[in-house]
Amino acid sequence: MSHTQGSAPDDRAHADIAPGDEYAHEEFGTGLRSYVIGLALALLLTAASFWVAQTRIMWAPAIPVALLTFAIAQMGVHLVFFLHLTSGPDNTNNIMALAFGVLIVFLLFGGSVWIMHHMNTNMMAPIEGGVQMPLQKGVPLQPQPAMPHGGGGHH
Amino acid sequence: MLGKLTWSAIPFDQPIPLVAAALVGLVLLGIIAWVAVAGWLPYLWREWITSVDHKRIGVMYVLLGLVMLIRGFSDAILMRSHQALAYNAPGYLPPEHYDQIFSAHGTIMIFFGAMPFMIGLMNFVVPLQLGVRDVAFPTLNSVSFWLTATGALLVNVSLVVGEFARTGWWPAPPLSEATYSPGVGVDYYLWAIQISGVGTLMSGVNLVTTILKMRAPGMSYLRMPMFCWTALASNLLIIAAFPILTATLAMLTLDRYLGFHFFTDEAGGNSMLFMTLFWAWGHPEVYILALPAYGIFSEVISTFSGKPLFAYRSMVWATLAICLLSFTVWLHHFFTMGPGGDVNGVFGITSMIIAVPTGVKIFDWMFTMYGGRVRFTTPMLWSVAFLVTFVVGGATGVLLAIPPADFVLHNSLFLVAHFHNVIVSAVVFAAFAGYTYWFPKAFGFTLDEGWGKAAFWFSLVGYIWVFTPLYVVGLMGMTRRMQHFSIAEWYPWIVAASLGVIVMMAGVVCQVVQLVVSIRRREELRDLTGDPWDGRSLEWATASPPPSFNFAVMPHVEGEEAYWAIKQRAREQARLREEPDYEPVEMPLNSPTGFVCAFFATLVGFAMIWHIWWLAALGFAGAFATFVVFAWRDRIEYEIPAEAVARINRQNRASRLEALQQARRKEAA
Repeated sequence: MSHTQGSAPDDRAHADIAPGDEYAHEEFGTGLRSYVIGLALALLLTAASFWVAQTRIMWAPAIPVALLTFAIAQMGVHLVFFLHLTSGPDNTNNIMALAFGVLIVFLLFGGSVWIMHHMNTNMMAPIEGGVQMPLQKGVPLQPQPAMPHGGGGHH
Repeated sequence: MLGKLTWSAIPFDQPIPLVAAALVGLVLLGIIAWVAVAGWLPYLWREWITSVDHKRIGVMYVLLGLVMLIRGFSDAILMRSHQALAYNAPGYLPPEHYDQIFSAHGTIMIFFGAMPFMIGLMNFVVPLQLGVRDVAFPTLNSVSFWLTATGALLVNVSLVVGEFARTGWWPAPPLSEATYSPGVGVDYYLWAIQISGVGTLMSGVNLVTTILKMRAPGMSYLRMPMFCWTALASNLLIIAAFPILTATLAMLTLDRYLGFHFFTDEAGGNSMLFMTLFWAWGHPEVYILALPAYGIFSEVISTFSGKPLFAYRSMVWATLAICLLSFTVWLHHFFTMGPGGDVNGVFGITSMIIAVPTGVKIFDWMFTMYGGRVRFTTPMLWSVAFLVTFVVGGATGVLLAIPPADFVLHNSLFLVAHFHNVIVSAVVFAAFAGYTYWFPKAFGFTLDEGWGKAAFWFSLVGYIWVFTPLYVVGLMGMTRRMQHFSIAEWYPWIVAASLGVIVMMAGVVCQVVQLVVSIRRREELRDLTGDPWDGRSLEWATASPPPSFNFAVMPHVEGEEAYWAIKQRAREQARLREEPDYEPVEMPLNSPTGFVCAFFATLVGFAMIWHIWWLAALGFAGAFATFVVFAWRDRIEYEIPAEAVARINRQNRASRLEALQQARRKEAA
């Protein structure tokens, strides 16, 4: 499904290869080496996560932070060694796409967690026998319906 | 054997849908019979159904959009006329039917009217404006279109087999859960949207790849026409936002089919989460539709003002700012659900901020017209009307972005008037501006101006006539989706709005008449040069309709407004460019993959709706087999010999040269 270039100059034809084809001409040896390094790093990070979680070498409250760090490093290893994300000039689109994706995930995930936290605090029915949740000051407490107010949303 | 499907699924007791569907069915059968008798079926199959040409696919998308806009409009006629008869009376639609109509109206207008129309125009225009021969993945493009058509088909099948959702156009739980909506209505919604959503997502990937990877030599980002920029932003939003919708609807599907508890109100489910996720797609969706519309207005206003677009770079920045900000405002759709003052405040402010880049655009368009020699053709009339009415809609939007005001106006007819005010004046006006503007490029003759202007004036007057009363009655406290009402003060306004629908209907009729009249007068309206409007971007550099390969040789772009520069040089030197060296062109072969995939997808959708598991499995297997057959194909391209390319191009050069000399003679005289 390639698109044919009529009399395009060479640099243009080079810039026009389909996404994913960029490493088609890479030599076998160098390609393999980067995969092996990537695999070794990925395994090391995985093993380190299990090891940190199961020994007492680290201060217990720091363990989740360590796991998070390993997880982010793991993502980096995958991006660089398996998905071939580099800082080279032909990789600008990929970097931009990644940045855009990360930003959207951050907005969606962070925003949803923030919204749902407030929503649950304000709107969910109190647990039976539990503490009546505080409403706004000055508003008399009324019996809460069992169902959250689900009819929101417009447009 | 047939799951939940029995004869009782067909609503024999409801004459309105049955008679309407029978009429439409008869018309369709008549058309198919006519085509078959005339011997056009092989032509249709060869040249359209299996075509992977982005222009053909774009035309089919727009046709689907046009038909579905009329289909959605018929729902609007029902709702308005029903309400006019429902003051202290039951009206003529029973509540369960009325609920389906307003749900179908929204679903059809957004997913199957506006979306195919905009995607169709992008499909047709973007490769031509970029100076390339097709989109990045031509066969995938065909699959996208046919999957969208599958979704539209399923929604319309629900009219006669079973029922449609009664939940509104977003299926809000817990109402949409199996407990409260045990019928197949919500399932029709889910499978139609999921299948067409796959098509939309693939279309987004396709167009983004095309714009980023396949521009003509010299066409740097900042030389792209504005429509390509807005198409890029819109398709980036499709890629980022549609997976959210797919995942959310998939969770609702799991709730309904397998007894999960994502959005139920027991066993740890949370129905408010559905609202959060749905509108995280829903607000970007507004801009997925509006951004290409802004692009169309930019092209039209610049062409018919005879000037380059004012402040091109600020327009690019405004487009990208909207692209990003559209992901930060979604909570304003549910201020009243109770997130509290802090959250509401933040989202109220972001909602106001997003009006700023749109305001920048409005000024850019006005300054493009300022000092220009404005030609008030039909596309330009739509664009100028947009500028005026859209500002009103934008202003009421900023009003609704203030949470305390929203608490008063939420789910009122004021809100309904607001979003129709913005979405009709942006998307529908742009759709018809673009349709009239690019029609000659697609078919080689312009549309009749008289009927076009009549359609414009009736539509504009009718649209203002319908929605102004709804603003008023909304401020008086009338909520949306009322099957009947008993407040005397509302009644005259509701009647007024219903009368406006008649005027709008006249506009729709004129639009249809315009097409018929133009086809009959096509020889007088013929566009010989390929540049009927004195255009500025590359789509006008080729013949109308363009040959299958678009450009005989790849254009070299040396600045903004690529075609304007070429044309100016030709006018100064009184001759065309040197004739290029023609080379053979390789084009992708047609493929029935899209149509066959969509056939199996229709089976899957229908079978899942009615719980016919064996048929669903069969459909999945068929779709997968189609993919395997396509992947194993041997020949993917065919060659157009250089002589054929030369012959086609020389024809166009001859008529362009003649037009050029004619213009010189006129100037001299």
